[in-house]
Amino acid sequence: MFFDILITALPAGCVYALVAASFNILYRPTNVFNFAQGDLVMLGAMLFVTLRATGWMLWPLALLASVAAVGLLAVAIERIAVAPILRRSTHSHGWIITTLAASMIIANASGKVWGSDPLPVAAPLGLSTEPTLIGGLLIPSYQVALVMFTLLLVTAAELLYQTRTGRAVLGVAENRDAALLRGINPATLSIGSFFLGGALAGLTGYLASPILFASTSLGGALLLKGFAAAALGGLGSIRGSLAAGLLIGLTESTSSTFLPAGYQNAVILAVVLTVLLVRPQGISGNIHARTV
Amino acid sequence: MRARFDHIMSAGTAPNSGAQALLRRAIVPILVGIFALLPAVLGGKFLVFQATQACIYMIVAMGLNVVAGYTGQTSLAQGALVAIGAYSSALLMIRLQMPFWMAAPLAMVLTSAVGALVALPALRLSTWYFALISLSFTSVVGELIIEWRSLTGGFTGISGIPRPTAFGNVFTDRDLYLLALAVVIATFLVLQNFVNSRLGRAMVAVRDNPLAATSSGVSLLSVKMFAFVVSAALAGLGGAFYAVQKTVISVDDFGTDFSIFFLLIMVVGGAGRLWGPIVGTLVFFLVPEVLGALQSWRLLVYGVVLLMLMLFAPEGVVGGVERLFKRWRVSDRFRGTLPADEVQVSVVGARLQVAGVDKRFGGVKALDGVNLTAPSGSTYAIVGPNGSGKTTLLNAICGLISPNAGTVHLDDVPLRGKQPHQVARSGVGRTFQTPKLLGEMSVLDNVLLGSYASEKASVLEIGLQLRRARREEALFHARAMHYLKFVGLAERANEIAGEIPHGQQRLLEIARALVSQPRLLLLDEPAAGLSLSELDRLGALIRDINTHGTTVVIVEHHLELVGEISDAVTVLDRGRVLTTGTPAEVFSHPEVLDAYMGQSAQVPK
Repeated sequence: MFFDILITALPAGCVYALVAASFNILYRPTNVFNFAQGDLVMLGAMLFVTLRATGWMLWPLALLASVAAVGLLAVAIERIAVAPILRRSTHSHGWIITTLAASMIIANASGKVWGSDPLPVAAPLGLSTEPTLIGGLLIPSYQVALVMFTLLLVTAAELLYQTRTGRAVLGVAENRDAALLRGINPATLSIGSFFLGGALAGLTGYLASPILFASTSLGGALLLKGFAAAALGGLGSIRGSLAAGLLIGLTESTSSTFLPAGYQNAVILAVVLTVLLVRPQGISGNIHARTV
Repeated sequence: MRARFDHIMSAGTAPNSGAQALLRRAIVPILVGIFALLPAVLGGKFLVFQATQACIYMIVAMGLNVVAGYTGQTSLAQGALVAIGAYSSALLMIRLQMPFWMAAPLAMVLTSAVGALVALPALRLSTWYFALISLSFTSVVGELIIEWRSLTGGFTGISGIPRPTAFGNVFTDRDLYLLALAVVIATFLVLQNFVNSRLGRAMVAVRDNPLAATSSGVSLLSVKMFAFVVSAALAGLGGAFYAVQKTVISVDDFGTDFSIFFLLIMVVGGAGRLWGPIVGTLVFFLVPEVLGALQSWRLLVYGVVLLMLMLFAPEGVVGGVERLFKRWRVSDRFRGTLPADEVQVSVVGARLQVAGVDKRFGGVKALDGVNLTAPSGSTYAIVGPNGSGKTTLLNAICGLISPNAGTVHLDDVPLRGKQPHQVARSGVGRTFQTPKLLGEMSVLDNVLLGSYASEKASVLEIGLQLRRARREEALFHARAMHYLKFVGLAERANEIAGEIPHGQQRLLEIARALVSQPRLLLLDEPAAGLSLSELDRLGALIRDINTHGTTVVIVEHHLELVGEISDAVTVLDRGRVLTTGTPAEVFSHPEVLDAYMGQSAQVPK
């Protein structure tokens, strides 16, 4: 039974970790937490399905196009819903409401366009979501690939942050004026982070769709689970996001094995609240140390 | 804040006119309430039903406005909290045959308790954590309502909820409306008292300037928690009314949309405005036709309206009206009488002792074994080049950063390890390099924020404006006016703090620090950006403060000022104490001259 739990928990956990990573990419240089992020993930999946359904696009092209489109939409959110608020006051948290509004607009407009039925998405590269015999174990090959790809992506992101440019980018979050002096334009950086964070969200949507299906109702659930992973893992730490994402995947699978489905999110919320009570900065976070 | 007229009338006057002010505050809501009796008189059943519903929404939205509007903690839990209130009161009435009058208060208590449990971990963190946790909470509550079928009836919900009864009579629709209306008016009046008190000032400070709040002795967590509990209790009350009005409740009534609906009401009316939730709710009931036609597009419309309002009219309908009125207002000048110098201002200054304080930021030693002792009642200056750790030292003293090693004592009381608001409450006032003011509040309100910890009236006393609350209000108004006069700003008491000149903002911040009558005052570069005449005034002012007993520790670049006012000077360099002595000694110290001021520095004789 433990094996079964693991088989569902790890891929789901990876999806949450990727959503959390996309939150982080966006948050670190901007200090903005995008409430429409879950809907960007959803859009990634829906756009891909739609582009593929036209029939004339190969899947890599359809993937590239949908990821780029979601990235651009994230930039639009930044320009329309975030930048004007921060221009009025850099301390304002009005972006909570404006990005929430953006989320409502995207989710409901998508509902109008695509309806609410989940659409199946085939796994790429001959992989399968059905268990096949691999090395004597019955394992779905797509899920294995997803886990490996996530590990690769997280490692790459961590390495990127270690570079000179990466650290300069993180420095901006600490001090906008200092960044300006060094010739980094915070506006450009903010746009860039939203594009990257949005693109990763779109990619996550595509990656998740073979196991979760493409559905316009994905957004809300992924927003909350992605947030849970980001908060648990510690804001700013992508490695922490991975660990926390997997932890949430495990909690979810375990609780659904032993408890009725209705308790799943309650258990996750309880775990998040307990961890935040003991360690407000999350498992490996360090962002909240500063006050002045 | 909106209380300007009240201050004009009541500043520095006797408590019994506080009762008059109270009557004045109540008169508009009561007149509006009388107008609101019309639906009950005119009669249509549908109208009465809608009016009751509007009252219920107002109760919940007023609660949301406290936590999200005034305190700036965007809550998306309101819908779920209403659900808890509705279900718990319905169950208490049906299963335990409890009367509405008992079930409703119990539902309020239960709702607050559950809400507080969830909010506590989140409120310690950034405000958006709270928003997301409250959003998660809303979806969890919905799921649990479905799951706990035996209690909640699952998808079917609960039906046959009894109406309230009084003296054997069951409430009619009209009675219920009158009751809900009375609750709206009472809630409005209590919240008005909160908002115009130290609680209201603290809430706005938490929202707009947390540093100003903590350095005035406000505990951020307590204020957020207070605001949230008020909002949860009102949501619970709204839920109890919701249950008895509809007599059937089901999980579909209380989704995430419901929470967002209240957010929208608040933003439409004007967040952080007393009348905002009232006006916002009315707007929703006055344009039902539009929304009816767009039923299936409702959430999309909500989203667009919310976004547009936040971008183009964040102050809402009420804020817009206020701005219109402001244009016509003749003058904001203070027109009351200035108080006589009746306030007892002598304090016993405290000795500040800093020993071996280290602070590292990563690999940088910002403070390296700093020792200094400012004797009781002295004026003590800390100078040094930029980046030498002066502000870091002040921050370490007042608890904004925690040192890696060393001790800080105020007389014999250890300060290290205390939170900033606790340090402030031990008698330490401070100002900042860039004044931390509440830019949208009046000058007088900014000073009054400083007396937060000195006021003792309880929440209940403030809410009901009992004797002690009124007396304190009058007392601290007088004291605040005294200190405004002391720094020379009394004339500007009713102006908006963000609109007065920079130099006066500095003086205002000093007045705010003084109003709690601190035993130690920390001034961080008070002379920066002052004109020559303002500088003279500042020097005289600091001497005055010192004469009244308060120990003053000043970080300053303006050496002429330092030389004039200080008893002793410590020179910091790259986190270390270079030398300490009288101004004359220090300024002639060869190392100081060579390394930090340059040979050509103008040194006062």
